[in-house]
Parts: sequence; C-alpha cells; structure tokens
Amino acid sequence: MSLTKKRGRGVAASWYGIARTAAMDQAGAWAEIDDGGSAKISTGVTEIGEGILTVLAQVAADELGVKPENVMIGENDTSRSPEAAHAGATRQTYMIGNAVALACRGARQKLFDVMAKEWKVDANTIKAHNGEIWSEGTNYKMEMSESIHICKKKYGVIPVAGENYTSHHTGLDPVDGSGRPWQAYVFGGQVAEVEVDTATGEVQLLGIWACHDVGKAINPKGVEGQIEGGVVQAVGQALMENYELEKGRTKSGSFAKYILPTSLDVPKVTSKIVEDPDPLSPLGAKGIGEPAMVPTSPAIMNAIYDAIGVRIKSLPATPEKILNALKEKKQNGSRKFN
Amino acid sequence: MSSMELKLTVNGQKIKKTTQSHYRLLDFLREDLDLTGSKEGCGAGECGTCSVFINGKLVKSCLVPAAKAEGAKIETVEGIGNPEKMSEIQKAFCATGASQCGFCIPGMVMAATSTLRNNPKASLEQIKEEMGGNICRCTGYQKIFDAVEMARDVINKEKSEKVFEEYDKPANSFIGANVKRIDAPSKVTGRLKYAADMKMPNMLHMQVLRSDRPHAKILNIDLSKAKKIEGVRGIVTCDDVPGIDNFGVFIEDQPVLAKDKVRYVGEAIIAVAADTLEQAKDAVNAIKIKYKDLPALYDPEEALKEKILIHEHYKTNLVKHIPIRKGNTEEAFKKADVVIEDEFATQPVEHAYLEPMAGVSYIDQDGVLTIVSPSQNITHHRHMMAKIMNLPIHKVRFIMSPVGGGFGGKEDMIYQGMLALLATKTRQPIKYVMTREEDIVSTAKRHPSRTKYKMGLTKAGRILAAEISMLADGGAYGCSTEGVMRKAAILGAGPYNIENLKMDTRGVYTNNTPSGAFRSFGALQTEFATESMLDIAAEKLNMDPFEIRRINAFVKGNITHTKQELNSASINTVLNELEKLASWEKGSPQSRGNSRKDMFSKDNRDACELGARLKTNGNGKRVAR
Repeated sequence: MSLTKKRGRGVAASWYGIARTAAMDQAGAWAEIDDGGSAKISTGVTEIGEGILTVLAQVAADELGVKPENVMIGENDTSRSPEAAHAGATRQTYMIGNAVALACRGARQKLFDVMAKEWKVDANTIKAHNGEIWSEGTNYKMEMSESIHICKKKYGVIPVAGENYTSHHTGLDPVDGSGRPWQAYVFGGQVAEVEVDTATGEVQLLGIWACHDVGKAINPKGVEGQIEGGVVQAVGQALMENYELEKGRTKSGSFAKYILPTSLDVPKVTSKIVEDPDPLSPLGAKGIGEPAMVPTSPAIMNAIYDAIGVRIKSLPATPEKILNALKEKKQNGSRKFN
Repeated sequence: MSSMELKLTVNGQKIKKTTQSHYRLLDFLREDLDLTGSKEGCGAGECGTCSVFINGKLVKSCLVPAAKAEGAKIETVEGIGNPEKMSEIQKAFCATGASQCGFCIPGMVMAATSTLRNNPKASLEQIKEEMGGNICRCTGYQKIFDAVEMARDVINKEKSEKVFEEYDKPANSFIGANVKRIDAPSKVTGRLKYAADMKMPNMLHMQVLRSDRPHAKILNIDLSKAKKIEGVRGIVTCDDVPGIDNFGVFIEDQPVLAKDKVRYVGEAIIAVAADTLEQAKDAVNAIKIKYKDLPALYDPEEALKEKILIHEHYKTNLVKHIPIRKGNTEEAFKKADVVIEDEFATQPVEHAYLEPMAGVSYIDQDGVLTIVSPSQNITHHRHMMAKIMNLPIHKVRFIMSPVGGGFGGKEDMIYQGMLALLATKTRQPIKYVMTREEDIVSTAKRHPSRTKYKMGLTKAGRILAAEISMLADGGAYGCSTEGVMRKAAILGAGPYNIENLKMDTRGVYTNNTPSGAFRSFGALQTEFATESMLDIAAEKLNMDPFEIRRINAFVKGNITHTKQELNSASINTVLNELEKLASWEKGSPQSRGNSRKDMFSKDNRDACELGARLKTNGNGKRVAR
C-alpha cells in the first residue's frame, strides 16, 4: 500500500425514539378475511420504499392465518381508508403494524367464534396458519377458503374488524423539558474503517459494522436494507454532500453540482440485528428507518482521527478540509490538531 | 411547436409516429408511447433513471434528441421483462430485495443488463464500475450488487434458478421471516405508475414562476401578456386563495403562493395551467414582476440579533427554542477531573430522492377536490388544504401515489396548494412535475447546525455534566424546524446516563432555502457532536472508546434526559455485539491508525482505484497514474 494511504477505525453509538415525538400518536386499520382464504387490509399506509407493505402483509398473514401472498393492501386515500398518519418518525412498522395486528385479531375472532360453533369446540383451541385452520387436540382441520365459505354462507358472518393503536406520549415541559416523548426507544452502534490518502485528502469508507436494536425484526432483510441505505446517506453527509448557498442563492442547484454517493463510494456493510422487543405493544417490533444513519458520520470522523490524527468537527470531511487540517497539524509540530 | 415523423423499432415493435421536434427520446417514450418505465430523475444525464438501449448500447435517454433515434432499435425496461415473465436480472432484483422506493430501479435493471451483456463474467468491482452512472438514494447499493452477482451466476449456470425463490417458508410464524417483497415485481419491471407517469383526459400542465430574490417586496405583477398566450387556461396568485392561506408541518407560516413579499430564492409566486407544458412555460416567461429588494439574513447568528425580521408579524426570527434542564451543571463541572469544550458544525443536505416532486389534481365525481401526490403525510395535508380552500374536510381528498423516495422531503405540502387552486379554477385535471433544478431550489434541506459543547468527566470516564447548545438555520419558513429542534434536544446528549444536563436547541428564520424534515431529524446533528466528544474524552483519559460508552450507557430503570424512566435499554448489548462483530482491537483512540491489528478484514470493500489518482514511481516521486 502507498505510504500516503492511512487506515483507521472509529466507533459511535446512538439512540432514537420511535413514532411521533412528544405528542400522542395513533393509527387505524381495517381487516377482513376474504373469499378464497385471502385477506383485505385497508389503512393509511405510505410505502416509501422501506417495504412497509410487505411488513403489513406478514403481520396480517400471521394474525389471520392466511398466506402473505394472499394479503391485499388497499390504496392510501383519505376518503377511503382509515387514518394512519404520516410516513416519518420511524413510526410505520410500530404504529401501523400494531394497528393491523389488532384489527386482524378482531376479524380472526369472528371467524374463530363461528368455527367453534361449527366444530362444537372451545374457540381458544382454534389456530390458523398459512391458509389452514384447525382445532388443537382434535382432528378438525380445513383450508381457510373452506372455513370462510362456511362462515359466510352458513352463519351469515363476514369476519371484519377495525382497530386503532395508540402510543402514549406527552409533550415536554416548557421550562425543564421533562416529559415522555416516546414509549419505545432503539439503540445502535457502528464501527467504520476508512482509508485516507494524505496526498489528496480523499477519504474512502471501506467497511461499516452496524449493530442495531430494532425490537422484534419482522422482515430481517428489510431491516438490513434500511441499515445499508441509511449508512450510505450518511456517507454523503460525512464526506461529500453540501448544499452550498451564497447570499441565499444555491451553488449546488443540480445533480452535476451536488455530489451524491455512487456505487463506487459505498462501503461494505455488515449488519447485526439485536432484538429487544418493545414490552408495551402487541408485536414487540420497534423501528430502524432513521436510527440507521445516526452513528455513521461520527464513526467515520473518529476513524479519520484514528488514521491521520486530525479531527474533523465540521461536516463534510472533504479532501480540502482534510488537507488543511493536515497542514495545520504539521505547523503545530507534534501537537495534535484538536 | 413543430412536429416530425419518427420511424424506429421499440422493444421489437416497428413504430411510425408523429412527435414533437423538441422532444428528447425520453419524452417520446413516455409521452407518445406511454412507456413510463424510463423515469426522469434529473434531465441532465447525472442519475441514470432514464437509461435505455439504442442499438444495443446503454444511453441516458434524457440526453438524446428524439430525432436522433430515427431508424434505431430501442430497448426499454418494458422490453426486458414484465411481472409475468421477468428476466434473470429482474428476478434477482426481487430475490435480494434490491428495490426500495423503486424509482431508480428500471434504470438500474438496464445498467445491470448492459453490464452482464458486455461482460457475462463481470467481477464485483467491474459491476460497481459499470453501474457508477446510476444513482440510488434508498438501498445503499449493496442489495443491487448482490442481485447483479446472483443473476450473473445464474446466467453462467454456476447457480440454479432456484436461488430466485429462496425465501423463508416458516412453519409457525411469518414474523421474522424474509418473505417475498410484494411490490418488487412492479418496480423492477417499470410497471408501477408514479405521479409523473399519470395522465387524465383534458389534463392541463402547470408551471410555476419562482422568486429569483432572497428577500424582496413584490410591487407589481403584470399578467397581461401571459394571459394572451394560446392554451393558457388559468393563472393563480395568492389573491386566489379562498381560505386561510398558510401551511407547514409544525408552524403554519407559508403561503401557497408568495404574499406581498418573497423570503427565499425559489419561492413560488404564480402558477399557470395550460394545454401543453410548453404553453405553460411560455406563459411563466411572459409574466413581469416588479420587486423592491429588502435587506436579507443569511447567517443564523445574525438572525438572533433581530435587526431584520423575516416574518414581521412574529416580532422575532426565533422559530423554536427547546430547553432541557436536569441537575446542576455548574456544580458538577467543579467536581469533574476533565472538562472538555469544543464546537461542531453540520452542513445543509439535499434529500435527493430520485423522484422529483410531482402531482395530479382534479375534482372527482362527487365534487371533491382530489390531489394525487407522493406525499409522506396526506392526513395532515388534507387538514391544511381544507382550511386553505375553505372547504369542509370531507370535500378534500388526498390519494397517495407511489413515493419515489422521501426521507422527510415529501412531508411539506409545497406544491399541492397550487394544484388545488388551478383544478378548482379550471375544473380540469392539473398535472405538475418539477424539474430536478426546481426541486432542489424550492424544497427544504437538512438543518445546518453549529453546536457548542462542554463536557465534564471523572478520571474513570463517567460523564458528570454536559452543556450543549445548538443553533440551526431554519431558512425562510418554519416547515419542521420546531420538531427538529425538539428531537435534537431530547436525544442530543446520547444514550448516556448524565445527571446534570443543560441542553438548548434553537432554530431561526433566515432568507436561505427552508430547512425541514430529513431522516434522523436533528438527532443526527447533536449526536454527531456527542459521539465526537466521547472520543476526544477517551483519548484524554486513555480509555477504549467502547469502554467509555459502556461506562455511561443507559440501563433499564435509568432516568432519561427528559426525566422518563426507561422500561428497557439495549445499548450495552448493542455495544457488546458490535465489538464482537467488528473484531475490535481494544485501545484508546490515539491515532493508532496503521498499527492496528483489526483492520483489512474481508468485510471491507476494495479501495477504489479509478479516476484521478496518484502513485509513487520508482524514484519515490508521486506522479499521476
């Protein structure tokens, strides 16, 4: 390796609150077990790319006993679907996931009550999973499609329910800030490994090791995707992006002038999910969207310090800043630039 | 506008069609052929969302005049496969979870197809290089690389097609299982329709006149020439707003269209709807505005002096101050063995979601004002719109279109008000799609911040007290500044049990581009400062950086900075797992750098050697490669 290339590692930790901050948060959902053993879910969910529709399909399938691929999720329309508020604050899995779980439990109970009559068993013995419904300890078992047919045609019941999930938060005291801004918190930490070229000032982020508590992970691959994407947005924040203004006018008004991380800039990310389930909510899931990118920038700056002994306190750590800091360090003799 | 006839082959079909002479190939595909799988992310060849093949060569169709495609063989993402019959690459994108918002994905599929057609055995490094012209803002690229490698191995028969179907099939529960992503097929094939892909009968196109001044009084608006332009069906200004004209995520201080004065460069002043996009653009160009420039504020420190007011009626430039007080920091600093003081800063950052802002509005069959847009908060938007349009809330309907990335940027109702005014005025559907340049200049950014920090610790590394003060530039309108200040304050001191804390966050108005919601929402700024301070402290105290964090980490039952008892706190578990995962070599952060033994593992990527680089020649001199 070239003499001017210096490697280093750094670590940073983080925490984050789940769902709307310092204000009551609520989300509603409707669920119906439909013909053919399928399910219909309606809720004001916003698929913003994180995979929330898949998460909700998993939750609904699990609660209703149908197959995930047989779950249909309706459009988000303020005149047609129940309110579930915004796609932000790392709240959708927590708020809407739990709302869908509760709505499904309501719908499921209606089907189970009917099947208890049909089979003359206690409703508590009835279970359903992956398109089948059965009574534990008996030989009663059938396809969900058949049981929904019986439920409708013989008993005149459509298994449908609506529910709401509330996360109880309070505002902050205006004087000392005390309050209960969230009921669920997540924690994370990342290690960064960088290579700094002391001749050009360029920093390359080569590896990130990311460990995040997300509560119960509903779709681990989706969680990984959020961590990888969050890390790379933080690479932009830490090393290259800057919306520059001069007297209120932007100097970075296009993608040609605003530098974003590309496939050649991104580190390999090794993720580890820690599951500390939320004790207060039905699913135990928490969230990952925003927390994923919090520890990355300080971990990178700590790694740069490890590599070359200069501390960048003003983001982003551009080549110019690195070279200036190295120059200053040299001028200050053996004293570290601090 | 003049027209021309074009003869070419698209996805194997011979096409003969009259089109607009000024169209780019991308416009021809999208507007004339309804092949909307090719997206417009930047219109300047920088992002790759519009990638197609021309005669087998990968090109960015936003850079090619349609006339140049005469006689050519064009292949778009729709020709690569469809949800019923996907290509290996598309199947692999589904299998690895490579699509998130999906807006960049058709272009990524095209770039991956090109990569493997040109080099079926491409290595990971070659794949990265070949795909370097396509930007993704969601995924971090890793699962995209995984997909291309998976497809390569299947195409080369090194892996069976079964890898495309290797999802978890759990016996008892779908929770915790990697099941098939349900929206992937529509995204990898370009079938999903985003707002900019939608068309309605009699639809008009909206364009917006924006301020080129940071702070100016509007003296006069002359619409006479614009009104005479053929095809113009409606022009709206702030005078057309029937209700209470303001919106904002936390503080409702922003008018739909500038009222009396402009407060930032890029602020919307007038919106025009016309039969064609070109007519709407011509009308905007024909509008004359007379301004009187006002003294402007660009620096948040200056804003605190209150010599110039951005919003006169508030009598202050302070948007929000959030204080947190716990214990007695002054007394605690006296007991500290080490006191460290420092300052940190972060820059404004653009969301750069690949899908520029876009929307369609119309009056539905029940007479309800309807807005279709990739909004992150249609619940709140409906409330604000009802008030702005002076309508009962059930007479306003918001429908979410697929969101091509948001990251907080699509929480602001920045353009939907204009769409509503024009749909109401013209009774015709209205469509608006921002250019990338328009999107960058007019939408909110991450709050730039300056943080002053004082931390006192014992020799053993316990934090006794911290005083943290952050000042953030909120820009011209309130947007999410209040919420960002709150989150920055609550979380800023980190997941550490600190008995004495004085935390203040302040956001102020300036004449800069507004700052708003952005993934990690203030916590990123303040936690960056805390995590830097902890390493500075660890070096001074000769402690391992994991150790200093563990000594201070919250445990269950601790009281947070806002005096809440924690019912659970996993930070120690997380740190222990991370230390193992990274095979961390213990030691104090004293620039150990190259002497460390825990580096260079296979979990790093190779350093990039492309582009302008230096190398050391035989004489020890550094020369260009």
